Amino acid sequence: MSTKLSDRPEKLPKANRNELPPLGRVINAVFLVLIFLIMLLPMVNVLAISLSSNAASQVSDVTLWPKNFSTEGYTFIWNAQNLGRAFGNSSFVSVVGTLFTVFISSMAGYALIQRELPFRKAIATGILITMMIPGDLTLVSIFSLNKALGLIDSYRGLILNGLVSAFSIMLMRNYFLSVPESLAESGRIDNASELRIFLSIYLPLSLPGLAAITFLEFIGKWNSFMVPLIITTKPQLFTLPIILRQLTQPTDSTSGVVQIYENARMAAIVITVIPLLVLYSFAQRFLIGGLTLGASKG
Amino acid sequence: MSTIQAQPPLTRRQQHRAWRRRKMWQYKSIYLMIVPVFLYFAIFTFYPLGLGLVQSFQRVPLIGKATYIGVTNYQQVLKDPIFIKSMTNSMLVGTTSLLINLAVALVLAISVNEVRNRFSKSLIQTATFLPYLFSWTVVGGMWLQILAHNGMMNNFLALVGLDRLPFFTSPVWGRPVILFTNAWKQAGYFVVLMLASVVSIDPTIYEAARIDGASRIKQISYIIIPQVWPTIKTLLVLGATGVLRNFDQVLIMNRPATKDSIRTLLLYIYEEGITKRRIGTATAAASVVMVITLVITVVVRRMARYDQDASY
Repeated sequence: MSTKLSDRPEKLPKANRNELPPLGRVINAVFLVLIFLIMLLPMVNVLAISLSSNAASQVSDVTLWPKNFSTEGYTFIWNAQNLGRAFGNSSFVSVVGTLFTVFISSMAGYALIQRELPFRKAIATGILITMMIPGDLTLVSIFSLNKALGLIDSYRGLILNGLVSAFSIMLMRNYFLSVPESLAESGRIDNASELRIFLSIYLPLSLPGLAAITFLEFIGKWNSFMVPLIITTKPQLFTLPIILRQLTQPTDSTSGVVQIYENARMAAIVITVIPLLVLYSFAQRFLIGGLTLGASKG
Repeated sequence: MSTIQAQPPLTRRQQHRAWRRRKMWQYKSIYLMIVPVFLYFAIFTFYPLGLGLVQSFQRVPLIGKATYIGVTNYQQVLKDPIFIKSMTNSMLVGTTSLLINLAVALVLAISVNEVRNRFSKSLIQTATFLPYLFSWTVVGGMWLQILAHNGMMNNFLALVGLDRLPFFTSPVWGRPVILFTNAWKQAGYFVVLMLASVVSIDPTIYEAARIDGASRIKQISYIIIPQVWPTIKTLLVLGATGVLRNFDQVLIMNRPATKDSIRTLLLYIYEEGITKRRIGTATAAASVVMVITLVITVVVRRMARYDQDASY
């Protein structure tokens, strides 16, 4: 966990570091430790329950360490409850969707930096307006639309909905603006097509931006809940969030007679967040960079 | 024999049009590059918007043709006590939640900024930011377990000799649980953004303040907060659009006892339109909420004078 969120070189001698007085430092430290525990204990609890045995996970206790260590929760949920299938669905839909989204969004971002492009302002405004429209409010019409297009219960539907994001377009536009225009000019003099200039000059010079939107889009799609909830009815097409929701609803669980122990529920949660943790551990620089830029200029 | 007629000189406007046509031709490949975006937004954003508006004036039977029925759907929605309740819930919980998250994040950012040990600093930042990456199905599922009757929280209370609390079985706890878990999941994101602006403060400013004998409280209120203020304004403006749009969290975390006190507008629209298939009233409700959201957005932007320094 080597975070580089906000550090600046700190080589100053101790007296110059503008530190709090001792009492203030203690109070501050106690406060932060408290916050840290509030953040961490729930996660530890979930992990500990997921690694306990079926019977032990049902016992009332403050579980911060696995009791009767066992992975039976994981094997049960992965095989018997079809979580493996959902994991595959989520991975497939997120990866394919992200690839398309990144390509389409960066192409549009490239179009938006052409200063002499007629109607550029109008196009940019149109894209920005889509950010202002609360799309989720139209969920009923989105259902009707998907039904009309035959996208209910299909991978196409899961991929197509949310394929373009104004946020990513604007983020890429901001990154492209920092590429020197003279490079594009020299490409044009050599008779390179616009697609060529985009692919071989702009994209390689905007890798941090590409990384940022790739990871942000992947996370968004991995976590996507409302659209799959509305447009999927067949269990074979369920993504992880849909299964997780079913597992945590006591009333309408599809499990029927099979009892699902707490360790299995928590195992499902752990399995769902593992890809996100992996992603965060090696891509946090890009994630934070993208989020900061997106919030300041989007 | 034909004579070549002298062309009348082109007006400025015609010149401009001709120039634009030439440019458009020159940029034809660029236009091709935006076609997918254009198609997507036309089909998946603007069409549903229009369709919803049209259907809000119709009776839409499950089978057969829709008929126009004027504003009946709107009358029905505005008279529906559940809609009114959802509206107050959304407004109240949404606004409180946004303000709590901003306040928590500001306190945390200032507090984390005082930490000089790099490792502890990154540890606390990572811990607060991580849940932001998780979906509500994950975070909701976690807290449903932790706050359950025999979950960790209540087991802890029982261990120290206190009563178990009915977090999901009493309406009183509905909103506090929503507000708390929302802050738990979202505040870390605000912390990251606020810290980014706190860190950009020139250290010599503190130096000068200390030479002038400014206390820590003074340094915070006259140096740090003014520096973070633009970020807070941005987050307020971005957050205001989302105030009425909480869906995932309440869909997952509601329980029969708490549902009425936390049902949001989007949950209401979902129940009407998807669960009960009453498309007319659902789209009418959506249109009402859409208008209110737009009004809120415009008002908050004005108040924050946000558009003045917007870059577009």
